[in-house]
Amino acid sequence: MKDRIALLEDYIMRNCLWQFHSRTWDRQRQNEGVLTKTMQILCAEPVARETLEDRCYWVDAVCLAEAFTNRYSWICELEKAEIKLLMQGLKDRIDFLTFKGSLNKELTDQHY
Amino acid sequence: MHAVIKGPGEDLTSALPLGYQNTIPGSITERGCAYCGAKHVIGTPMKDVIHLSHGPIGCTYDTWQTKRYISDNDNFQLKYTFASDMQEKHVVFGATKLLKDNIKEAFRAFPHMKRMTIYQTCASALIGDDINAIAAEVMEEMPDVDIFVCNSPGFKGPSQSGGHHTINIAWLKDKVGTFETEITSDYVINYVGEYNIQGDQDVMHNYFRRMGIQVLSTFTGNGSYDDLRGMHRAHLNVLECARSAEYICNELGVKYGIPRLDIDGFGFEPLSNSLRKVGLFFGIEDPAQAIIDEETARWKPELDWYKERLKGKKVCLWPGGSKLWHWAHVIHEEMGVDVISVYTKFGHQQDMEKGIARCEEGALAIDDPKELEGLEIMLKLKPDIIFTGKRPGEVAKKIRVSYLNAHAYHNGPWKGYEGWVRFAHDIYNAIYSPIHQLAFVDISKEEIPTDKGFVTQRMLSDATLSEDVVSSTRLRRYTGKYDCVPDYANATHPSFEGLPVAVE
Repeated sequence: MKDRIALLEDYIMRNCLWQFHSRTWDRQRQNEGVLTKTMQILCAEPVARETLEDRCYWVDAVCLAEAFTNRYSWICELEKAEIKLLMQGLKDRIDFLTFKGSLNKELTDQHY
Repeated sequence: MHAVIKGPGEDLTSALPLGYQNTIPGSITERGCAYCGAKHVIGTPMKDVIHLSHGPIGCTYDTWQTKRYISDNDNFQLKYTFASDMQEKHVVFGATKLLKDNIKEAFRAFPHMKRMTIYQTCASALIGDDINAIAAEVMEEMPDVDIFVCNSPGFKGPSQSGGHHTINIAWLKDKVGTFETEITSDYVINYVGEYNIQGDQDVMHNYFRRMGIQVLSTFTGNGSYDDLRGMHRAHLNVLECARSAEYICNELGVKYGIPRLDIDGFGFEPLSNSLRKVGLFFGIEDPAQAIIDEETARWKPELDWYKERLKGKKVCLWPGGSKLWHWAHVIHEEMGVDVISVYTKFGHQQDMEKGIARCEEGALAIDDPKELEGLEIMLKLKPDIIFTGKRPGEVAKKIRVSYLNAHAYHNGPWKGYEGWVRFAHDIYNAIYSPIHQLAFVDISKEEIPTDKGFVTQRMLSDATLSEDVVSSTRLRRYTGKYDCVPDYANATHPSFEGLPVAVE
């Protein structure tokens, strides 16, 4: 599981930008929005996209889910419960890298 | 510390330099000031505006011919620069009357220009001139003009990035929402953090227009003052240079509920993903995919020609801010070069996070390097080429390291599919320029060889390539025009009947 999470993490950190918004609360919201929707897509569950904000997360999630399944065919063979476990582990790791364990001193600035 | 090496197994929680620190007095920094960031980076690319600096005339130095953010109104904003020309007597007695006279004179000299931006400088800030009050007086006297005031003197902030911040917030507070731009499409975006360097914006606009998207405003390259007052009417903020313009995107999100989508306009795969995401957002994936397929088929063989010849070349990626991460991985993936060092002059830790996450292990990351540090690194790492600004670039030339201008480009545009090939073409020309055969000889120590003939670029670049590559019928050099921008800017596109953005 750890090795698989590392592969997905590497893809996100090299190719995506959504996880690097400027403040802690933004990063928390971005990670939650995009990774939850990615998990839902991978599990073939309904994905909310009624609001412009949700739609923005959904856009990144669609591209991320496609990139994962194209690059790592083993994802397609996982059960739903396994995907959820994998994606939770991935979210924990991205949260750690981008705000929980971040060295970025500007994340807690109260203003943009 | 302000420099770290991305070691094996390290991540952002262990390898991240400090950033956005005050410059150490006495050091030869490569940064600009907060006035420069507000005016010369963000403000002045607006095209239909009289840009006036309230201060000494020297503050306007970085204008004509030193910037390359072109516009489609004959480059008015580059051709004409205005300063109130403050002198010592004004420092003693005040300069508000001088400013008011200057504003009126400028409007009289260019009667077709009805919009103005005024930039505070260190001198006018220190004596406390109330520029906003003068601007209000003039607008009352001349009801057909509109004036924006940016109070970002040079000393306000560690670098030009402080000025980016100030002008973002000031524009949002003072001007957004004061003009109702006409909406002509169901798909409306603000294209933010794009400065039309050598036509980048024209290339990207072309793609968006082909998708049926209305680019309501561009913040700020080739941007129109009134369009930018109407930013609140867009459905989506498409953000390129997050360092210089994410503030206004974030505030547009808070105030008007317009979401922010970060994109990469550089590199085939990142750009394709970006177009696809914008297409997905509006439910117009098909036209996006058509552009991706068409452009990739047209330009990929040319990109690959250069990739074969650039593989393994060592690059110091030393731009100002955002290109550090826009390019860090994709020049490695798509051009085959190795990024051995990344730096930022005025970026924040956020820029370094993205850059370090994207570059390879072993890269040296530095924030705000001083001239001597830059020299030391080049002598130690021996890069084949550096991508940086003109100040450190000229230093690199002196020690015979090739350089490309990462801020203003050499033969741009570098965005878009064709632009990316033009970038590869410029890298190739820089690395394999025949001039190095002469320039790299130290005539104080070595004899100029007279028994060897002239070696061409192709002889140098193809010396170690396999015959399959050299004689490939698929690969080819850049075949575009010397100036490719007019074809993008002047292209016409059929009107696009689309669906509303609201979805199930």
